[in-house]
Amino acid sequence: MMTNPTGKITQGQFSFLPELTDEEIEMQIQYGLDKGFAWSIEYTDDAHPRNTYWEMYGNPMFDLKDAAGVMMEMRECRETFPHHYIRLMAFDSTRGVESITMSFIVNRPPVEPGFTLSRQEIGGRSMRYTTVGVAASKPEGERY
Amino acid sequence: MNQTIEQEQVEVDPLSIARTVADVLKDADVESVLSELEQDLVGLVPVKTRIRDIAALLVIDRLRKNQGLTANNPSLHMCFTGNPGTGKTTVAMRMAQILHRLGYVRKGHLVAVTRDDLVGQYIGHTAPKTREILKKAMGGVLFIDEAYYLYRPENERDYGQEAIEILLQVMENQRDDLVVILAGYKDRMDTFFKSNPGMSSRVAHHLDFPDYKVDELLSISDKMLDAQAYRFGPGARDAFDQYLNLRVQQPNFANARSVRNALDRARLRQASRLFADRNKTYSANDLSTLEVEDIKGSRLFRSHEH
Amino acid sequence: MNKPIENTAITDSKKRYTAGVLKYRQMGYWEPDYEPKDTDVLCLFRITPQEGVDPVEAAAAVAGESSTATWTVVWTDRLTACDSYRAKAYNVQPVPNNPGQYFAWIAYDLILFEEGSIANMTASLIGNVFSFKPLKACRLEDIRIPVAYVKTFKGPPTGLIVERERLDKFGRPLLGATTKPKLGLSGRNYGRVIYEGLKGGLDFMKDDENINSQPFMHWRDRFLYVMDGVNKAQAATGEVKGSYLNVTAANMEEMYERAEFAKELGSVVLMVDLVIGWTAIQSMSNWCRKNDMVMHMHRAGHGTYTRQKTHGVSFRVMAKWLRLAGCDHMHAGTAVGKLEGDPKTVQGFYNVCRESYNKQDLERGLFYDQDWADLNKVMPVASGGIHAGQMHQLIDLFGDDVILQFGGGTIGHPGGIQAGAVANRVALECIVKARNEGKDILNEGPEILRKAAQFCTPLKQALDTWGEISFNYTSTDTSDFVTTASPSN
Repeated sequence: MMTNPTGKITQGQFSFLPELTDEEIEMQIQYGLDKGFAWSIEYTDDAHPRNTYWEMYGNPMFDLKDAAGVMMEMRECRETFPHHYIRLMAFDSTRGVESITMSFIVNRPPVEPGFTLSRQEIGGRSMRYTTVGVAASKPEGERY
Repeated sequence: MNQTIEQEQVEVDPLSIARTVADVLKDADVESVLSELEQDLVGLVPVKTRIRDIAALLVIDRLRKNQGLTANNPSLHMCFTGNPGTGKTTVAMRMAQILHRLGYVRKGHLVAVTRDDLVGQYIGHTAPKTREILKKAMGGVLFIDEAYYLYRPENERDYGQEAIEILLQVMENQRDDLVVILAGYKDRMDTFFKSNPGMSSRVAHHLDFPDYKVDELLSISDKMLDAQAYRFGPGARDAFDQYLNLRVQQPNFANARSVRNALDRARLRQASRLFADRNKTYSANDLSTLEVEDIKGSRLFRSHEH
Repeated sequence: MNKPIENTAITDSKKRYTAGVLKYRQMGYWEPDYEPKDTDVLCLFRITPQEGVDPVEAAAAVAGESSTATWTVVWTDRLTACDSYRAKAYNVQPVPNNPGQYFAWIAYDLILFEEGSIANMTASLIGNVFSFKPLKACRLEDIRIPVAYVKTFKGPPTGLIVERERLDKFGRPLLGATTKPKLGLSGRNYGRVIYEGLKGGLDFMKDDENINSQPFMHWRDRFLYVMDGVNKAQAATGEVKGSYLNVTAANMEEMYERAEFAKELGSVVLMVDLVIGWTAIQSMSNWCRKNDMVMHMHRAGHGTYTRQKTHGVSFRVMAKWLRLAGCDHMHAGTAVGKLEGDPKTVQGFYNVCRESYNKQDLERGLFYDQDWADLNKVMPVASGGIHAGQMHQLIDLFGDDVILQFGGGTIGHPGGIQAGAVANRVALECIVKARNEGKDILNEGPEILRKAAQFCTPLKQALDTWGEISFNYTSTDTSDFVTTASPSN
């Protein structure tokens, strides 16, 4: 159980709110599609804050008009990886942006042990810090 | 379909409280689509009648739903059969609009594909291909032309069956998200359905597109010429009538498409005719008239004069 | 001492360069038919000439005194291709509804400026002319910097897009808080505030502008304790966290030393105050680029010359200079908080920070189109007297690409600092979610916040404590143009 006020990893746009229902997720997806963003689904069991690359569940989905397609893939991803972190990300390819514009978590492991801080004391009072995942000592696939 | 917010955050959808046919039609603006269909396509009376019937069914179904008489949306998957050039794709687009305006599909766009868009060339290639097409079509209508090519039982390494399985599943379980229209020659579609009863049971509406009659083809040619600022000269129209009567008996007749091709060839002959006289000043009339000889130049006439 | 009463430029060289005093407009600084080139720097000054001074002559004088002229004719002019070096005032218009004030458009040839140097640009444009006696008041209202000149600047070291990628935070504004009280906390106590605020849900904490290295807290202690708090909070939440460590110091050598220490301790961001000056700002920007550091700019002291409409330099010009000089965060106003800023004018500043191409927008105070030639974008910062109850107004005004800083609004929360942070974060997320769902957040905001407060006690407490607070004073710096006016150019 993590010690921050939510008890969960607080990555993504909506981590401080109650978990989104499927209807709410669909509304967010449709908002992104209406703006011309491409959605992609990613999953991981290593949610370290500096882990940029989660595993891709399929390629980014371009040219979609309706949220149903994304929901279909998301449900399958949840069935396949029920104990992984899964997030939806929206990509905006307009010039000057060319980056992700929305990102939120849609699935979490049932228990999130979180991270510890490892400290390395260096000459004088200086310190080097590393965030270490509690579950990361186990191999991939067996963490949650 | 959106309207101003009336109280707090509750959006009241007028379609969901309609009690009369007029209520439904008023908000849905289906009449204009039907009249556009009437104008776009010549003839096709049985098809247009059928579409009106389907539209009526959907309107009444909406009223029944509002009264709580039925919970599920009706099956909307369709099959259009007929020879090429009889307007199947055009009607499919209009159908997508009608379905959208009556609230049966959310976005109303049309994605038109053939077998090659759905089926892969090696193991594992088909499923992602099919799913990608399906995702793009969701919220609208998926139009599969010559759908029977999906089924090739004689070739054991053919992956079309996989695509069919995926389609069947989506057609059944995600009826609210997608409408599928299959299209092709009637006899081949019949064979396809016999071998794939699952597909057959999911298609609710069968529309047959008869070949155009010669007088309908003439009207089509009038429309096509008009759209390109051409006209028939004296006697040319009758000549074209004769041409059509000959042409429909020839093999590989593709209705409207064949008419377009014939008119294009007539324009070529007109151009050659005008090109021959370097020094004449041509009026707008000269440049836009197809004369008898431009029509009669077709080799169809020559082979019949023997 | 005054010679001919003519008002047109003297083109006869002998007459022009004979010793004596001429009017500026006779010396060639007034050219009403001049067509500005794409490579010219264009400035718009708001001038208030002294009684009896002709506005065109005043505009020509500004052009002269900010380029090549002096108060009397000099023969050494003839050693130069002086016609091309002269700045040219090409248009003068009275300001609507402000008798005695005029807009003056002046063009400067590209050769007058050193590449990549804001110090030089400012020395040229505002270095001389503002003390000029014939002007009662003068303000540099807006500036158009040609692409040819923009390309000589490196711009923000990180930029808005890459910063988000480094933090892995997308789709919502970022949240921050300035540690309060402004002065007096020791290092250890300071670190506690940092830890609580970040753990509670903020993305950034911030040193205040006057926290450098004082007897009550040496900078090294602050950095050590702050980074401990930052790293603990990162492990507790699983998010990348940061705190703007203020490296402002007496000289560059000390600033570099402080910046190096911040980097060693693993900070993602550091902070400088505007008062270090343009040269120092560009040096620090270069350092940050070489060391993967986000640079936060606090606009300390700008109010002395940006606030009054009649005299000084408009903040929109400062914003343009800061973007070129290269800072990643820029305080640009809140519109609804305790500090000066009318909403439309503030939106104009935000557009200067965030757009790839600013279009002329008189209502928002943008007098020129400005092409940024793909220079990195700056993240604007809204800081000063704002609280969770205003979240819907802030997001409606400013969108997602902004950092909202709630200093008092976090630390002064009745339930404690963490509770304050939770309240702000929940308010933020629920407004963003509602906006994406299509709700009208400006009008339904208070209701949405109240609903969210039902499952979040800290938010409820925040709304109860501060819900009624607002700062309604007349702005001193609003646009001269309301929607119906037509642009005069």
